[in-house]
Amino acid sequence: MKIESHAGFINQQRIGLQKLKPDIPRITVGLATCGAAVGGTAIFERLKKSIEEQGLDISLIPTGCIGYCREEPIVTITHPGKPLVLLHKVQEEDTDEILRAVKSGSVPFDKALCQIEAWDHLMGYTINYGEGFEEIPLYEEIPFFGRQHKVILRDTGLINPEDIDEFIAVGGYSAAYLALTGMHPDQVLEEVEKSGLRGRGGAGFPAGLKWRITREKESDIKYIICNGDEGDPGAYMNRNEMESDPHMLIEGMILGAYAIGVQEGLIYIRAEYPLAIKRLKHAIEQAREYGILGPNIFGTAFSFDIQIAIGAGAFVCGESTALIASIEGRTGRPHPRPPRLTDSGLWGKPTDLNNVETWCNVPVIIKNGSDWYTTIGAPNNTGTKVFSLVGDVDKVGLVEVPLGTTLSTIVFDVGNGGADGKQVKAVQTGGPSGGCIPARLFDTTVDYESLNAIGTIMGSGGIVVMDEETDMVDIARYFISFATGESCGKCIPCREGLKHLLLLLNRILAGKGTDADLVTLKDLSETIVATSLCGLGQSAPNPVLTTLAYFREEYEELVRS
Amino acid sequence: MDEKILDDIISRYDSPSGRLLGILGEIQNSERYIPRESLDMLAAKLSVPLSQLYSLVTFYSFFSLQPVGDHRVTVCMGTACHVKGAAAILKTLEQLLRLPEGVTEETRSPVTTEDNAFTLEIARCFGACSIAPVLRVDNNLYGYATPDGLPAILEEYGWRKHED
Amino acid sequence: MTDAAQNRTEEAPDRVTITVTINGKAYPAEEGEILLAVAIRNKIDIPHLCYEASLSPYGACRLCMVEVRKKGRTEMTTSCTLRATEGLEVFTDTPEILRHRKMLLELYLAEAPKSEVIKSLAAKYGVTRTRFFRKVEPADPLGNRCVLCGLCVRVCNEIMGGGVISFVNRGPYTVISTPFLEESSICLGCGACAQVCPTHAIEIEDTGDVRVMKSWAETKVKLRACPVCGKYFAPDVLAEKTLAKINPPLSQEILNICPECRGKHLAQQEILAASGNFNGGK
Repeated sequence: MKIESHAGFINQQRIGLQKLKPDIPRITVGLATCGAAVGGTAIFERLKKSIEEQGLDISLIPTGCIGYCREEPIVTITHPGKPLVLLHKVQEEDTDEILRAVKSGSVPFDKALCQIEAWDHLMGYTINYGEGFEEIPLYEEIPFFGRQHKVILRDTGLINPEDIDEFIAVGGYSAAYLALTGMHPDQVLEEVEKSGLRGRGGAGFPAGLKWRITREKESDIKYIICNGDEGDPGAYMNRNEMESDPHMLIEGMILGAYAIGVQEGLIYIRAEYPLAIKRLKHAIEQAREYGILGPNIFGTAFSFDIQIAIGAGAFVCGESTALIASIEGRTGRPHPRPPRLTDSGLWGKPTDLNNVETWCNVPVIIKNGSDWYTTIGAPNNTGTKVFSLVGDVDKVGLVEVPLGTTLSTIVFDVGNGGADGKQVKAVQTGGPSGGCIPARLFDTTVDYESLNAIGTIMGSGGIVVMDEETDMVDIARYFISFATGESCGKCIPCREGLKHLLLLLNRILAGKGTDADLVTLKDLSETIVATSLCGLGQSAPNPVLTTLAYFREEYEELVRS
Repeated sequence: MDEKILDDIISRYDSPSGRLLGILGEIQNSERYIPRESLDMLAAKLSVPLSQLYSLVTFYSFFSLQPVGDHRVTVCMGTACHVKGAAAILKTLEQLLRLPEGVTEETRSPVTTEDNAFTLEIARCFGACSIAPVLRVDNNLYGYATPDGLPAILEEYGWRKHED
Repeated sequence: MTDAAQNRTEEAPDRVTITVTINGKAYPAEEGEILLAVAIRNKIDIPHLCYEASLSPYGACRLCMVEVRKKGRTEMTTSCTLRATEGLEVFTDTPEILRHRKMLLELYLAEAPKSEVIKSLAAKYGVTRTRFFRKVEPADPLGNRCVLCGLCVRVCNEIMGGGVISFVNRGPYTVISTPFLEESSICLGCGACAQVCPTHAIEIEDTGDVRVMKSWAETKVKLRACPVCGKYFAPDVLAEKTLAKINPPLSQEILNICPECRGKHLAQQEILAASGNFNGGK
């Protein structure tokens, strides 16, 4: 049943809203990878069984992840006309209590974390749940949530990622509909340019500019690709975006394809994300059924479809030319640029490659306008960024804040400082390509330029917190070991240089290092940065360089001993 | 490898984009490793040099040319997991499975126990960083892993503690 | 498309001559020409290992790095991937470049400890020892001389169409070999790999009627003998493949004999024909 008219669209929204806010109680269980792993699946199965056995009139729905990972498993209960209540740290044994409470029109207060009375999904639709349960704090009153500004994560954990109707109910695909039926591709492109959206994969290149360059290339065929490789250990924002709100990514790509003038898109997903692959495949099929992907989208003249390509375990395939080599059935060995991807990319054709989160920003920009978007964030760093706050921090989870927020706010106000009452010593941002930043620099604002100035990068958004007991030389060694194992081996500074850096660090950690070794460590690191062929080698020594700069005492102590 | 299964896999990939890695991935999942004959057959069917396929299979970590044991134990060595003690998890598993200490990280390839019951390997990140440290056995993910809790997990897959 | 094919399409038929500056001196070049090629032509010394004019730029060895100065900003880049444009200003021996070049050479000495070519290249720039652990493998089929420049693989795959060897594994574990490190059944025995190898790492030995590709798992390729002089002059499979491409085809008589004898045979024919005319003229 394809959607080919405004009436059809409105009708589908109505159907979706009936599912999102039925006349009966609705229970959801967070079933993204982490929630499922720590008991969510068992809870869902148990609830399902009990509801069937008792013949209860309750809607049981799987949702994605709301981002408060430490509190998983998370279950929500919504009675018609009453607020959506979030229960946290639910155990399988709690299911009876939950059903008892729901049957009596209530919720188990001892497991309640907070409640949501109304929720603006930022696509023109606010879902009003209702008021009640004065005993339960409001969502905004929970510091972890209240200090965030959710834009990309607006739907995650609330809607069923396997049901396109719920996505449409909260305004999903309304930006695509608006653009395809009422805007010229140039207008869509201009909005993205004016929004100042910068690539969320780490490079921070203006997305609109890349789109314009690709659009202006003369070619019969062009491609857009979504980089879903997310290889940085410690980063899982893209995984959540794909598992919990896959249609948001598809909508972003439809808009991009329309603006650039492209018929074929690809999403490259790493093999280690089986649930994301499954959810996206399912979402693409559903979109095709509704005529939202494929020929003549929404009954217009515009056709576009998406294919999924899967990785095979190589961090280097996050690099653009290696990613494309991988799709073409070659090993992930980067090749030098020029030519740029926009000149010659996939199969030699002009290609625009953007990160998952970059695409996810587009629908909300088109729906609300670039003026709205530029009110969020900082000058030249507009919008929000989702970060994964992990490691030795109290509140582990996904944190979305405007760019320009300080590290301190993220680590202490949202994250509540070190876990188990320990002092926070440093954070590592940007994954293996980034640097380790000491606590005394936490008033640094999180934006592309400020982070570069202190020796690290934004990267894809992973923030790993390290406490006072962390050995920073061991951390440097960990990262070099990682990079050595992931090096493609094409160029000698990365292939051999990193190997020898590792041998040096091992020697230093074993107490056999010398002062000369510290000099070699720095000099070799600098050569690797300056002479490597691709971004992997160029940034792999950053953890060594930053720990040498900020934690030199730890190296010297090891050398002295 | 059954040629019919291979033909069936190939038939699912009419677009050249993502085809080779997709086919190899399905062979890996279906046979639990990449049998040598499957590469010979694939080279012939797709008119691709065997050397190219061999290059792919040895480059990407996902593929294994050696058969794996009955159960595959994968320890995540991502940053968050490392900070939360993944090294201790790996070391304990090597002890429990009576594998030489340090062999997994040293060889950087999966190691299988003598009785072929378990294959131990490391992964660079599952993206489940919030529940670090993480390990996976077959398709099941275990979060907040502790060295003490490992015997119970392994017992679910038929492991029994050896009396020395 | 392969890199080579891409390279060919980039060479436009209309050639524009421009001027580039290297180390302060001006040199003419074709627009889009590879800067390293311009340097080589003008005998300007830029060390390089993985560059081959008939193959597309690869950028693996990193030794050819130069400093580009544009609008007050400097950037280091490989000269084998740098294309000449009007006004391009390049420096080949700045202190920064020399420092990194020396460090790279130390890495090369550690990686290919038995290569005389590497030793003399390093010595040329003042590097006579390396701080790094020298990996010597007694049974290395490439004699501890391989620097993984990739030329052999590219020549075999992209020019000869052989597909015999490829890169195996990745990172510091990378080696170049045949599939499963076993004898190849498709090797033409052409020896292009050995010819193009900058460190003479690839060993080929002809014994009797067999050419042994010692570095490629002792792959044996049968040689054919010349019916006239008896010498083994070419691999059978290579001869078949090459001769099949000759159009119009030559007579069977000429096809089977070795180039030396063929030359003599054709010369004899010419002399006979010419002397016949001479006599006939009288």
